[in-house]
Amino acid sequence: MKPDIAEVLIELSALVARNAAPDIPPADRAGALGLTAALLAIAGRQWDEAAHNLALENRSIRSLLTIPGEDLDIRISTLSAENARLRALLIERHVEVEGRDSRAEAEIWAELVASTVRRLAPGSPV
Amino acid sequence: MTSMGLEARIEDYLAGRMPHASDLRVSGLARISGGASRETYRFRLSWHESGALQSRALILRRDPPASLIDTERRIEFEAYRAFFGSTVPVPEMLWLEESSGALDHPFFIAAEIEGFQAAPALLWTEPYLAAHEKLAERKWTILGEIGRSDPALLGLTTVMAAVEPEACWSRELGYWEGVLDDDQTEPLPISRAAIRWLRANPPPPPERLAVVHGDYRTGNFLFDQTGGIHGVLDWEMAHLGDPLEDLGWSLNPVWTFGRNLAGGLVPNAQAVAIWERSSGLKADPAALQWWTLFNCVKGQAIWVSSARAWIDGGNREPIMVYPPWALQNAQDRAILKVMGHL
Repeated sequence: MKPDIAEVLIELSALVARNAAPDIPPADRAGALGLTAALLAIAGRQWDEAAHNLALENRSIRSLLTIPGEDLDIRISTLSAENARLRALLIERHVEVEGRDSRAEAEIWAELVASTVRRLAPGSPV
Repeated sequence: MTSMGLEARIEDYLAGRMPHASDLRVSGLARISGGASRETYRFRLSWHESGALQSRALILRRDPPASLIDTERRIEFEAYRAFFGSTVPVPEMLWLEESSGALDHPFFIAAEIEGFQAAPALLWTEPYLAAHEKLAERKWTILGEIGRSDPALLGLTTVMAAVEPEACWSRELGYWEGVLDDDQTEPLPISRAAIRWLRANPPPPPERLAVVHGDYRTGNFLFDQTGGIHGVLDWEMAHLGDPLEDLGWSLNPVWTFGRNLAGGLVPNAQAVAIWERSSGLKADPAALQWWTLFNCVKGQAIWVSSARAWIDGGNREPIMVYPPWALQNAQDRAILKVMGHL
């Protein structure tokens, strides 16, 4: 998820501190607090699931593309970088099989659907 | 940047634009939340003129340091101005300033349409819930009126870039694919698959070239409790093109607000029927599907641009984080839905 959660949380902490000042217009403060709350809710959900989902997805894509490897470093930044590498390879594979191998294509679409379930944010409109 | 407050700087600017006015005073200046591509403020201007105290509620729309959408404010200003006084309700445009001297960034000032709401969340509460049918009737009737209007008669062909009918789709797709290429922060396999499909299955040329609002959705118009619409806002992506483009944006599943209804209001077929009646155009189902999917890609490009602006440090407002975090995956799911994979 971009921007990275850690960086956003640091920025939000500064925003909350600024909004604690007494001379902030109430409308500005209300707007900032409402958005901060929404972002914290999304970050909170990701906190528990991010590493699990990235590792799960990386394993799934490797299996689909028959690529060897495993995630030994489970920091989110490392898992995300590997995820980006694998999803770039998935695009290449999708282009190769499109219109040529319906079974492989269906497997890729199934993985892409699953990827959006893993990334579902609270209150997602779709 | 000057150390004067924004109120005083607006007063200085308007004093130069209102030679018959004196004692100009800006009060109640407050930023309106939600504007991610322009900073939007409301304020009240009071002044003396012809021996009388006068007052007017105004809106200031100023470019931020880095925007979610890069657009020409003159096109937005002229689009508003072209429709003012027509059956398409819009606020009156008053002053456009394209230099950065007065308020650090280009801006325009418009009359505020007071007393109405824009926030979609209100629509899911009473008494607004009871007015959805009427609101939908107005919403897609107005969109049809935009689609049936003549850009040349509106004076907009001299402001907006010309496009050949058969190039409408490729120009728009090329532009937004370019935005994705420039701004993506991670690979986007679903959006890229959608783009390949769009290029392989182009739509026919439009029945008629029209003004395309570019962001016509629930949330970008001012409504009342009985289903009336009093102002269509956010024309910053307006351009000439296929009127089906606007209809497709209004049917983008991210604008269902989780209610599985067009704009959160009525079934898609009902919205399309209203639009067809109003515009006098036919929404060919295949062409409409193309434009709906295109708008999912366009939406993704906008959310990705927002992430890019935040990451690059040009704009660290929390509103820039919300679209990529809350809408990017939803937009992928919308693509899957329109393509029949969800």
